[in-house]
Amino acid sequence: MMEDKLLIIGFKQGRREALREIYDKYKVEMLKLAVVLLGEVNTAEDVVHDVFVKFARSADRLKLTGSLRCYLATSVVNRVRNCRRDRLRRGETGLETVDRFAAYSRGPQQWAILDEQLTRLSDALRQLPYEQREVICCHMELDMAFREIAALQGASLNTIKGRYRYGLEKLRSLLNGEVTK
Amino acid sequence: MKPADDVRKLFKDAGLRVESKADERVFEDMVQAQHRVDENPKRVPDAWRRTMRNPITKVAIAAGIVIACTVGLFLWTGTGSGIALADVLTRIQQVSVYMYQMSMTVSGQATTGTAVDQNVHATILLSEDCGMKMNMEMTDPNGTTVTYHEQYVLPQKKILITIMPEHKKYMQIELDDTQFANLQKQNNDPGAMVKQILDCEYENLGRSTLGGIAVEGFRTTDPAYLGGMMGEIDATIWVDVKTQLPVRTEMEMQMGEMHVHGVVHDFEWDVSVDADEFEPVIPEDYTALSSVPFKVPATSEETALKGLRLAADLTGRYPEKLDIMTLTSYTGKIIMGDTPVAKRIRKEHTGLAREKYIAKITETIMPIQGIGTFYTLLTAEKKDPAYYGKLVCPEDKELVLMRWKASDTEYRVIFGDLHTETVTAETLAILETALPQ
Repeated sequence: MMEDKLLIIGFKQGRREALREIYDKYKVEMLKLAVVLLGEVNTAEDVVHDVFVKFARSADRLKLTGSLRCYLATSVVNRVRNCRRDRLRRGETGLETVDRFAAYSRGPQQWAILDEQLTRLSDALRQLPYEQREVICCHMELDMAFREIAALQGASLNTIKGRYRYGLEKLRSLLNGEVTK
Repeated sequence: MKPADDVRKLFKDAGLRVESKADERVFEDMVQAQHRVDENPKRVPDAWRRTMRNPITKVAIAAGIVIACTVGLFLWTGTGSGIALADVLTRIQQVSVYMYQMSMTVSGQATTGTAVDQNVHATILLSEDCGMKMNMEMTDPNGTTVTYHEQYVLPQKKILITIMPEHKKYMQIELDDTQFANLQKQNNDPGAMVKQILDCEYENLGRSTLGGIAVEGFRTTDPAYLGGMMGEIDATIWVDVKTQLPVRTEMEMQMGEMHVHGVVHDFEWDVSVDADEFEPVIPEDYTALSSVPFKVPATSEETALKGLRLAADLTGRYPEKLDIMTLTSYTGKIIMGDTPVAKRIRKEHTGLAREKYIAKITETIMPIQGIGTFYTLLTAEKKDPAYYGKLVCPEDKELVLMRWKASDTEYRVIFGDLHTETVTAETLAILETALPQ
């Protein structure tokens, strides 16, 4: 916590090295979160890129009430939601319907290189309804309490627990042998 | 293994790596975004800290200090005839009982906003073994006696007793060692005053004559005098060249809108007195302001935190400074304040007789004064304290509210949200750069 506190101070003073440290410390975790939430790597990269650039612009008005990790993770979750909403509004295909090839096809701009396990996990998660996926990712990846996720999704605690239970059940069946190894 | 554990393990094991070129590009985008906003970089507030970290300036400043000290040493010892102030303290400490008169004029505006114009005259008797006795008379400008107090400080019992004859009341306050020492300073005890001056930057005023006695003067205007408790100060002490004992001390203090001018004079050294002189005599028909003695909270970090928490609860902010006047003004406003907590405190004591009501309220808000006492102690112990109540609010969990040296390399820090941490000097320097201008 103290380390983050010092990084934030340095960042707010415009120190490049502080920004670099924040970026290096959290980029992989945020990319992973975006990938499991979206089930698609290119959009995940765009989301995280936007989150970090926006963060870099926020030095003057940034006033953290919680941890930096939590702040960045919430920014990723919100950005993913906006991204999904924009696509649906534009009548574009939902990310869930993107085929496996498109989801992980790489070009010259490739930033994140997923290992096999993350690809499989992301594949399986993509097949869950988004609300269930978000609950599982927030709980498993970010260690968020159900109470916090309930606040994030604006749903009751019981609804969240239900989404988690159903999502987990389906995820286990999708992953089949993977989780029982 | 719980059903979710295997999925959790999969989440943990799954990973990714980043491609370095793309990684650098993203970071460059961030840097550009940061610079676009950062056209007016903020000035770093703690110039002295940064200056001290620079090894070249460090050497230059150290050299400056050595030169200053050498000049100082020359002034005090080089002439062979000058008085060393430390020797004056030694001389005072050799006297077991002494007596002096104190005359004080208080003028200007009190914290309540009412005009003050009062003369105070006191006779003080000090004994190494028995403590202090003070007879104090306060008069208004036309000479009418307003009030008369008799005060005793009893070192064995660590208690301060004030007798108020016109009200037929008395008050007892229990003190700890620090509070006891502070009280001595506030009563202009010349020994304590010399100690204070020795701890501050001071100048030699040279020789003069007072009432036919050859004297040498010492003066300080150092804001650190009395731990900065008294606002702006100008203190002078005149010492008998022959006996090396004080002849007269003068003090000018500007505390907010209030001006205090005090003179200590007519010293009598090695006075012969009976120990009974120091025994307070409280007539039977006098009643105590409180059934149990007031207990001034211990001078500690815990008390300071309690005081700061109370201040935040009562007003939603911290006192701007920790000198006596600011704290008195601050607590005065609390008593009269409109916050729900202030109203609740007043309501809790409604129905009590006026004196008891004041006593209860005073007791409740006493920890706020404790912040000031703690800060004074830290100053006296040269623990490099700093307080930023003017800049930091209870919501500022990342900002340093107060800090002091915990060891040679570490500082204790109270943050705006009142959590505490011990950090290195380097870390503190970075934390303090975040303070608003």
